[in-house]
Amino acid sequence: MTDLILLKHELLLTALLLIFILMKLGKDISNSSFLKMSNALLLINFIIGFFGNQHGQMFASMFQTNELMALQKNMLNGGLLLISLSSSRWLNNHIHLPEFFMLIVATLLGMFFMISSNNLLVFYLALELATIPLAALCSFDLDKRQSSEAGMKMIMSSAFASGILLMGISLVYGVTGTLAFTEMSSLIASDHLTVFALILLFAGFAFKLSVVPFHLWTADVYEGSPVAVTSYLSVISKGAMVFVFTSVLYQVFKPMQEVMYQLIYIGAVLSMTIGNLFAMRQQNIKRFLAFSSIAQVGFILTGISGFSHTGAASATFFILVYVFSNMAAFAVAGIVSSAIGRETIDDYKGFYRTNPFLSWVLAIALFSLAGIPPTAGFFGKFFLLSAGAAKGNYVLITIAALNMIISLYYYLRIVRAMFMDKNETPIGSVNLSFNERAAIIICIAGILISGIWNGPFHTIHHSVTEAFSITPF
Amino acid sequence: MNILQTIPLNHYIMLSALLFSIGAMGVLLRRNAIILLMCVELMLNAVNLLFAAFSVHHADGGGQVMVIFIMTVAAAEVAVGLAIIVMMFRKAGTTDINLFDTLKW
Amino acid sequence: MTLTVFYLLSALSVFSGLMVVLSRKAVHSVLYLVFCFFTIAGHYLMLNAQFLAAVHVIVYAGAIMVLFLFVIMMLNLNLAAEAQKTPWIKISAVILSGLMLLVLVASVKGAEELSAAQPQNDIGLVKNIGNILFDKYLLPFELISLLLLSAMVGAVLMGRKEPQPQNE
Repeated sequence: MTDLILLKHELLLTALLLIFILMKLGKDISNSSFLKMSNALLLINFIIGFFGNQHGQMFASMFQTNELMALQKNMLNGGLLLISLSSSRWLNNHIHLPEFFMLIVATLLGMFFMISSNNLLVFYLALELATIPLAALCSFDLDKRQSSEAGMKMIMSSAFASGILLMGISLVYGVTGTLAFTEMSSLIASDHLTVFALILLFAGFAFKLSVVPFHLWTADVYEGSPVAVTSYLSVISKGAMVFVFTSVLYQVFKPMQEVMYQLIYIGAVLSMTIGNLFAMRQQNIKRFLAFSSIAQVGFILTGISGFSHTGAASATFFILVYVFSNMAAFAVAGIVSSAIGRETIDDYKGFYRTNPFLSWVLAIALFSLAGIPPTAGFFGKFFLLSAGAAKGNYVLITIAALNMIISLYYYLRIVRAMFMDKNETPIGSVNLSFNERAAIIICIAGILISGIWNGPFHTIHHSVTEAFSITPF
Repeated sequence: MNILQTIPLNHYIMLSALLFSIGAMGVLLRRNAIILLMCVELMLNAVNLLFAAFSVHHADGGGQVMVIFIMTVAAAEVAVGLAIIVMMFRKAGTTDINLFDTLKW
Repeated sequence: MTLTVFYLLSALSVFSGLMVVLSRKAVHSVLYLVFCFFTIAGHYLMLNAQFLAAVHVIVYAGAIMVLFLFVIMMLNLNLAAEAQKTPWIKISAVILSGLMLLVLVASVKGAEELSAAQPQNDIGLVKNIGNILFDKYLLPFELISLLLLSAMVGAVLMGRKEPQPQNE
């Protein structure tokens, strides 16, 4: 059973899940010591993820992995560690801390299987494993009505979306007679039924990615959920979906690129424009970040629409950048929200006076999200747009560029509020714990380093090329 | 006796399309959260029927295994969904989704 | 003969499906849904998917619907009449789902040429399903156990009443 090393990431997470359950069942431990232990475990998990990665298939080729997937899983592992560090204040005060880690590790496990799936059945199960516990996490502020409301909107919309996705899957199964990606891609032909099945599948994906006609749940769920869960939803869950989207797209629907391109084109334009326009008029910072993340998905789709290795690599690189930038922004929002309990943008007026460090962090994160040069976001967007431009559709690129300018306006609005506006009742100064400081510094270092040095992009590009040359598609 | 030679596959597709659309209509039409979940179950059942028919048509067991897993996932989904609805009912005193509007732009 | 049975079953499933959506009282919806599930189990039997038919009745009609019924009774929802959506929303819901049906039917029209494999009748038997479930589909089988475990954690977490903060 030397093959089991292929399952390394998944086995580690399963072990973590069981350890958390045992710790919960065992004698009472205080929250702070539980948090210390779980952070240590997550760190170990993150570090082991880098060693001994191989490529291959298992379980009658239902499960596949390669260096690119290992890299993507490592990114998600790191993201979970950052969330656990940066929201330690909120976690420390929660009475159900062990359950939080159980559920969040279970969803991460689902995402790993989703990334590695080579069969629609495994893909569907993994998707549900990544979604159902997440709905429970959204309503994790058990005494707040808004939080339960978010959980309910999450489970309703995801159940509806998976119904639509399943309809698409079953039609594809009917046309091809197989559930395995590898066989499917050679059997797919573009007749009416397949096109319709593809549209249903795309709709299911779009729900989870919150691409615009299917984005209505996003803002409500993001606003109602606890900040730790919101950042998980917007960074990790979305990142995993993007990874899967690229691999399914590049593997299975290769024969239907034309239809797929039209769908992605519409989705990208609508997401960027509507996400940006709605982001401008938001007052709650979580809601604002929700709409900005919808706009970011539009940019990611622009890159994916290139249908090339560069497209897949740029999307993966952008997720790396996005993990750092969005996580930094959410870390500040989460710290302020759990320490002071204020979440509107007006509250951030005069933030620089009281919390200079946090204001700089938030400013750098917002610069990176907006794509301003010395930060990583610039390279992220640049690679995405150049991958999209390879297809020669300059209308799409022009719309994307215009949207970048619009987004600059509203990101800078917050920066201006923090640094220039005056406020009689500014947010009091917040003392950072060691964990929070560590998470923030890692995020900022990530933003600045991958903004100056584009080594990560070449690593990713290399492993993408390698991954797509190994798998026979 | 060979069912699929007497009943065309298209009939099954039509039937499950009809059930699926009825379920989707219910999701759009009703306001009670519990009934919304039930309508989603109806949609999943339409899909299940389609999977079973395709599985027999292709003489491939995969479709039927898929149905078993969809049922299991539906059970898990319903358990979590109903738990959230009960929790919501304790706080808001209703299951009417139109009244769940504390989150709004 | 079989065709007649199929039409009868289909008419019953569509009727009960419609009644799920249209009945005013929640308990009636649940009962119609149970009925609908039984007709679908009949369809499975006609497809000779015996294992599916059994599991369907046990899991869906037996477990899931009882859960629904239990929650509806517990919350006592049957007394209050459900508020209705505005007529405009109703009309557009009907139109939207009708359009969806139309597109589905239209796209099936082009699917006459679905490759005609030789239908085999015994793949739905318990023995054959068991063989592939524990052999080829082992990974999903293991995966579902984790899904059920985490769903249980989530449901227990939310379902129970919050203990009051201890003041001792």
